[in-house]
Order: sequence, then C-alpha cells, then structure tokens
Amino acid sequence: MSYIEVNGLRKSFVVRKKREKGKLFREKDTVEALKGVSFSVEKGELVGYIGPNGAGKSTTVKILSGILTPDGGEALVGGRVPWRERREYVKHIGVVFGQRSQLWWDVPIIDSFSLLKDIYRIPSAEYEKRLGELKEALGLNDIMRTPLRLLSLGQRMRAELCGSLLHRPELLFLDEPTIGLDAVSKIALRDFLKWENSEHGTTIMLTTHDMEDIAALCSRVMVLGHGQKLFDGRLPDLLEKFDTVRTVNVKYGAAVPSVSFPEGVSASWTDNELSLTYSPAKLPTAQLLLLLQEAGPISEMTLQPENIDHLIAAMYKEMDL
Amino acid sequence: MRGYFSVFRMRLRMELQYRGAMIGGILCQMFFGIVLVALYRALYAGKPQALPIEAVTTYVWLQQAFFRMLVSTDPDLLDKIRSGNISYDLCRPVNIYWFYYSRIAAQKLMGSLMRGIPMLVFAFLLPKGWGLSLPASAPGLLLGLLALIFGFLCMCALENISMGFTMRTLDPRGIQGMLGLLMMTFSGNLLPLTLFPDSWQKVITVLPYAQLMDAPIRLYSGIYAPQEAPRILAVQIVWTFVLITAGICLWNANKKRLIVQGG
Repeated sequence: MSYIEVNGLRKSFVVRKKREKGKLFREKDTVEALKGVSFSVEKGELVGYIGPNGAGKSTTVKILSGILTPDGGEALVGGRVPWRERREYVKHIGVVFGQRSQLWWDVPIIDSFSLLKDIYRIPSAEYEKRLGELKEALGLNDIMRTPLRLLSLGQRMRAELCGSLLHRPELLFLDEPTIGLDAVSKIALRDFLKWENSEHGTTIMLTTHDMEDIAALCSRVMVLGHGQKLFDGRLPDLLEKFDTVRTVNVKYGAAVPSVSFPEGVSASWTDNELSLTYSPAKLPTAQLLLLLQEAGPISEMTLQPENIDHLIAAMYKEMDL
Repeated sequence: MRGYFSVFRMRLRMELQYRGAMIGGILCQMFFGIVLVALYRALYAGKPQALPIEAVTTYVWLQQAFFRMLVSTDPDLLDKIRSGNISYDLCRPVNIYWFYYSRIAAQKLMGSLMRGIPMLVFAFLLPKGWGLSLPASAPGLLLGLLALIFGFLCMCALENISMGFTMRTLDPRGIQGMLGLLMMTFSGNLLPLTLFPDSWQKVITVLPYAQLMDAPIRLYSGIYAPQEAPRILAVQIVWTFVLITAGICLWNANKKRLIVQGG
C-alpha cells in the first residue's frame, strides 16, 4: 500500500449570498470543492498539485492535514485517517500555508520555535541539532532574535518553513509557499526543498500557481479542476499533450528569397529576419530546420518553447476550467 | 502539559509588552473607581443602607482592580479565527480547547496582575470610607483568594465559550456584547451585588457570573462568614466544571462543521 491513499474524497461548502431585492430569504449555494478525488503517493515523492484558483487544492491539503473533515471518501496517510486521529496524526506531518503565519508576530522567531519545540515535545538535544541544520540551510542565522514583524516576506517564509520542519515530519504539505517571493528567495526555497527531500526522504506535496516551482521540483504533477483530478503523471508528459506551438527566430546573413512553408506555420519577415511559429506535432523540428537551412545562410537562430504559464492557461481552457 | 504551559508563558510575556495600555488601563480604572465611590457616598448621604459604606467601597475597588480579569479578550485569537490563521493551531498535536484556555488564562492573569497590584496599593492609601479596607479576617483573605482562583477558572471558561461562538459567527461583537452585558450586571461590576434586593440576591448569587468576583469579594470582606465557605466553594466548583464541559462540547461540535476562511 502507498504512503498516502486517497479514495473518492468529497467536500462541499455552503455559501450564503446577499439577499436579492424583492426576495424574502438569502440564497444558499452549495459549492462542491471536491467531487471524489483519488490518488496515491509513495514515500519520498515530491508531488506538485496544481489547478486554477478554487479548484480544491487547498481543501485537499486541509483535509489531509487533519483540519477539515470531508463529507465522504477515504484517506489513509501512513496508516492513519487524518481527521479521525488528528492529534496522533499531526505529530508526523508539517504544513506551510503560504499566505498565513504560524509564528508569533511580536516576538523573536527563536521564541516561536521554542514554543513549537514544547508543543511537539522535541527533546532538547534533537531540537538543537535540527535547528542548527535548518538555520544553516535556510540562512536564518542573522535573524533568529528578530521579531517576526520586522522580517521581509522572503525571510518570513524561510522562518515559517523552519518552524514546520523542526519536528522532522515525514510528510510536508506546502500550500503556495512561493507566493509573493522574489526570484532569489524562490530559488533558495526550491533548493532547500530539494535538499530536504533528498537528505531526509521527506515526502512533499506542493500546491502552487508558479509553474517554475513545479518544473524545478516535482517529478510528478497532479492537475485538479472543478474538484476533480484531470491529470496525474510526469510534467513533460503533461506539457507534451498541450505544448502545441513553438516560436523560432532566424536571422539570415543575406537577403533570402521567400520560402514557402507547409500549412500551419505562420511566418513574418522583417528585412533578413524571420519569425515563425510552428507545431512540432504537425511539422517535425528536423524537417523545419532543413527548410530554413535551404533558404539561405543562417547567422543567428533561437528556438523557444512556449511560456509555461501560457501552456497551463491553454490547458485549463481546453479542460474547460 | 509542556505545550500548554509554554503557550501560557509566551502569552504572559506578550502581555508585558503592552506597558502603555497598562498605564492607560490603571488610570481609567482609578477614575471609574473614584467616580463610583463618590456616587455611593452620595447615595449613602441621602439614605444609608444596611451594608456599611466601607464594605461598598472595598467591593468597588476590588472589582476595579480585577476588571481586566473579568472583561478582556485576546485580539490575536479573534484575529486568528476571523482570518483563518487558526488553521495552524488546528494542525498541532494539542487539544485545541486547552491550548486556547492556556492562552486566555495567561492574558487574563498577567493583564489583571499588572493593573491590579498598583490599583490595590492606591486604594489602600485612600482615606477611610473612600478606599479599600483590610480583609475581615485572615481565613477570610485566604478563602477569598481560593475563591478567586475558581472565579478565575470560570472567567477563562466563559471567555473560551465566547471564542467557540466566534468560530461560528466570525464576528465576536454580537456574542461579546450580550455576554458582556450579563457579565457586567450579574458579576457586580456595574452595581455591587450586595446592593441588590435580598430576594434577587438569592437567585443572582448562584448564577455563574456571581462566582467570578462577587464570591471572592464577599469572603474577603466578611459578608460571607468563613463557615459558609464550603458551600460557596462548592457552587464555584460546580460552575467551573459545567462551564469547562460546555466549552469543550462547543469546540468539539465546531470541529465537525469547520470551514477555513479566506481560501
């Protein structure tokens, strides 16, 4: 059996709307956040969980971290049902909510950490060792005695991550951990997660809107939309399915007589420069290169895959999300 | 226990940071104390009551000194519930009721000690008939302190019940406004319970609110004789048990219908 086994998980919320003019009662809407989601995750996997806003990603994380009780379905993580054996279960997991804070606002972060030490009953020697390791890996040495409110967002997120990992969880949930971070902080965070995963074998489940996070970290990706799982597999496979268009820019050394391209290729010329988009599925790249080379002496050339965000947007559109 | 004690300690320390609020609170409670005492003196000048004026002023000053224990709310806790940051506390290996109970206890204890001690010193220094009298007897003082401990446990339990309701209504103002009014009236903060008609007192003194401050004050000032203490304490213990049980049930029920705000 896998480490995480989720079967037909369902959860709905009631949303009360403002009363319409002329009506006596407010309308109620039931929003089905999860409509029977199933998946399994092996120990030590690093899984990305993506989907548009409101797809049910955070709801899944909250159910699997024991906070919410689902309406139906089953989930077993390491042999435990999260919402039934909450107190015992949560000792073994760590959670980071990217837009929330677990550390105390007015006190130095080291004090918040020692509170967590007591809450998780981490032995002192073990705590010192782990804190030293995390401090080093997350670059927290200079800010341990600074109150949380004086830290930048990037520093704060690193401190949050440290707080969630002090008790050496087997499983770490990250709900949009890179939200609002700058490029340097994002890269540092990703490097750290990779390190934690390979060094300690921590299973990581990550929700994000930043496709770079997924590309850099996750060997496997699950796509969720309208409360259903739409894709589960490797990121390259996902991209291949939707990666329809690529852009090529070619600069020729001399004037070139116009080239005729097969259907489906759109080309535009500016002097000696050609910019075209094509679909590798219809026209193999090797064949295109041959065409381009025959046309004249190439002095410069760039080939770009389509922006990953556009791809995902196209995919959401195709999946009707 | 370590986790609960640790959060208690942390909240104590946080309370120490609000020194400006402490000074403001002391001045405000002193002002209220003096105004109330002047009011009762005027009342007594017109129509003396059975209860001596010294007992009334003592009652007023003790109420004012521990006002912060009676009426205070942890703004951070409310904020957690409103914003959904409570998620983090829900994924800790602790019992959420006792975890918050510890927080509330720390805030109420530190807040009222910081304000109460200077206030009591001030009230002792006031002239007779205006200030705080010495306890009626040594057993009266000890029994009063013991009763104050149970009163304190009840206050924290009541506060945790109002937190539990806030989990449902999201805005604390309604429930706090209602409970606050009951609390101010029936705890004797607005008007000493000793001045209510005797027939009313029979009912009022067994309500939970009378256990908070009224029972300890009466033991302190000898209105309840030390022989009556076992009965008084028994009522307090029953209420402590009932209020804590009710709070635990409320929080357990909340867990089943929980929604996390803000995505």
